[in-house]
Amino acid sequence: MIGILVSVINGLLLGSIYGLAAIGLTLIFGVMKVINLAHGAMIALGMFALYFLATSGGMNPYLALPLVAIGGFVGGVAVYWIGVHRVIGRAELMSLLATFAVSMIIIGLGTALWSTSPYNVQINIPGVAIGNYTIPGNHLVAAVIAILIAAALYLFLFYTRLGKAIRAVASNRQAAELMGIPSTRVLAIAFGIGIGIAAVAGALIATLFPFTILSGGGYELKSFVVTVLGGLGNPAGALLGGLLLGFIEGVVSPFVDVSWTPVIEFSLFVVILIAFPMGLFRVGRGK
Amino acid sequence: MSETILKVEKVEAGYGEVQVLWGTSLEVPGGHLTTIVGANGAGKTTTLRSITGIVKPTSGRIIFEGEDVTRLPTHAKAELGLVLVPEGRQLFADMTVEENLEMGAFGARARAHYDRNLERVCHYFPRVKERLQQKAGTLSGGEQQMVAVGRGLMAEPKVLMIDEMSLGLSPLLAQQLFQTLKELRDDGLTLLLVEQNVHLALALADYAYVLAEGKVHLEGPAQEVSHNDEIRKAYLGL
Repeated sequence: MIGILVSVINGLLLGSIYGLAAIGLTLIFGVMKVINLAHGAMIALGMFALYFLATSGGMNPYLALPLVAIGGFVGGVAVYWIGVHRVIGRAELMSLLATFAVSMIIIGLGTALWSTSPYNVQINIPGVAIGNYTIPGNHLVAAVIAILIAAALYLFLFYTRLGKAIRAVASNRQAAELMGIPSTRVLAIAFGIGIGIAAVAGALIATLFPFTILSGGGYELKSFVVTVLGGLGNPAGALLGGLLLGFIEGVVSPFVDVSWTPVIEFSLFVVILIAFPMGLFRVGRGK
Repeated sequence: MSETILKVEKVEAGYGEVQVLWGTSLEVPGGHLTTIVGANGAGKTTTLRSITGIVKPTSGRIIFEGEDVTRLPTHAKAELGLVLVPEGRQLFADMTVEENLEMGAFGARARAHYDRNLERVCHYFPRVKERLQQKAGTLSGGEQQMVAVGRGLMAEPKVLMIDEMSLGLSPLLAQQLFQTLKELRDDGLTLLLVEQNVHLALALADYAYVLAEGKVHLEGPAQEVSHNDEIRKAYLGL
C-alpha cells in the first residue's frame, strides 16, 4: 500500500515537470496557433545546456537553470524570426513543416556533435524516506521549481503589461494592432518564452535521468497528451494535465511492466480526444 | 473650416484580386464629426482599414498631421493617434473590461494619460464602470460597444474612427451612443464615423461623404447632404 502511495507521489512530482514542458507547447499554440514540432528538440537542447554548464562550466545545476532559460528565450526569438514569422496565419501545414525542419536541424546537429549515447548530470540531494521507500531529493526539488515557474508565468500573463499584451494578441491580433500593440514583436517574445520554458523543463529532466539528444521526443509526445488533457492553449490546464498524467503513471507503474506505460497513456489520450475534444479543464476559454 | 488633420489622397486598395477603392479622397477637419455613408460594398470599411494600415493601399497617400503615414504599420499609427474602433467590436473576449481598457492605453503616449482617460470613459459610460471586473465576452452587445469605444478613447486618439457603431444595437441605445459622440466632439475630439444608419449619422455629423463604388460620390455639410433629393431617395427611403 505504501508502495503505491510512493509511486503516486513520484508520479505527481514527475507530472509537474510534464506539465511545465507542456506549458511551453500550449503557450505557443494558444498565442499564435502554431504547433511547435521542435518542442522536443528544444527540451533536449535544454538538457545539454544544463549538462555543459554543470560539468564543463562547473556550475551548480540549479543555479545554471536561469542561464538555460535565458538561452532558450534568445534561441526561441531567433527561431521565431528565422522560421516561424513568415508562416504565421498561413495554412497549418506550413508552420508544422517549418517547426519540423527546425527540429530536424537541431537533432541532426546534436547527433553529429554529441552522438546518441547517454549523458548524465550528477546531483546528490538527500531523499525523503517513507517506510522502506525513498522519494529522491532531486525529484522533489525539480517539482518545486517546475511549479514555481508555472506560477511565475501565470503572474506574468495576468499581472504585467507585457503579459496582458500577449493575451490580447492571442485573443484578437488585429484589435491589438489597432490599439498600438506591436503584435509581431509580442509574438516573438511569446515564442521565446515558450521555448525558454521547454528548455528549462528539459534541464530539470536532466537533473533526474540520463538523456540523449533524442530524449526530447518522448517528452514532446507527453506534452501533446498533457495539452489535450488540459485543453489546447491553456497554461493552467497544462499544469493540471501534467499532474494528472503523472498521477496515472504513478498508479499504473507498480502493476504493469514499464514498457506498457505509454500504451496505457496513449490509449487514454485517444479516449479523451473522443470524449472531451476541448480538454478536461476548460478554464477561462469560454466565449 | 478648421484645419485638416487627416487627409486621404486618391487611395486605391482592395483584397487580393478584388479592388474596392478606386481613388478615394477625403479630408477630416480637426474637432469635427465627419461621417462616411454609402451602400454596402461602397468601400466605407475599406477606407478606414486603409487609413489604419490593416489594408495596404496599392496607390495614393494617407496624410496625418502633415506627414505621409501611408506605409506605417497599424500599431505605429495607433501610437500617433489614429485609432479605429473596428466593426463588430473585436474586444479581447477572455480579458476583463478593465484589462481591455488597459490594452487600449498600451502605447507610451496613451499610458501617460491613463488616469484621465479612464475617468473620461467612466464618465461617458457609467455602465462600463460597473462592469470593470467582468470578462468582456460576457457583456451584452450594447455594453460591448461601449467598451469598444471606451478602449478606443483610452488610446488617446487624435482622430477616433468608429466603424458601424450602431450595428446590432437597439435604436434607443444607438441614439444614446451617438449623443455621447456628440459630447466628445464638443470636448474637442475629432471623429470619423462609418455608419449604415444614414439617418442618425447625417443628423449628427458636421460634414458627410457619400461613397459609391469606391469613390466619393458626393460631399458636403451633413445638413445639405441629408436634404439632397438623390440621397434621400437612395439611402433615407424618403
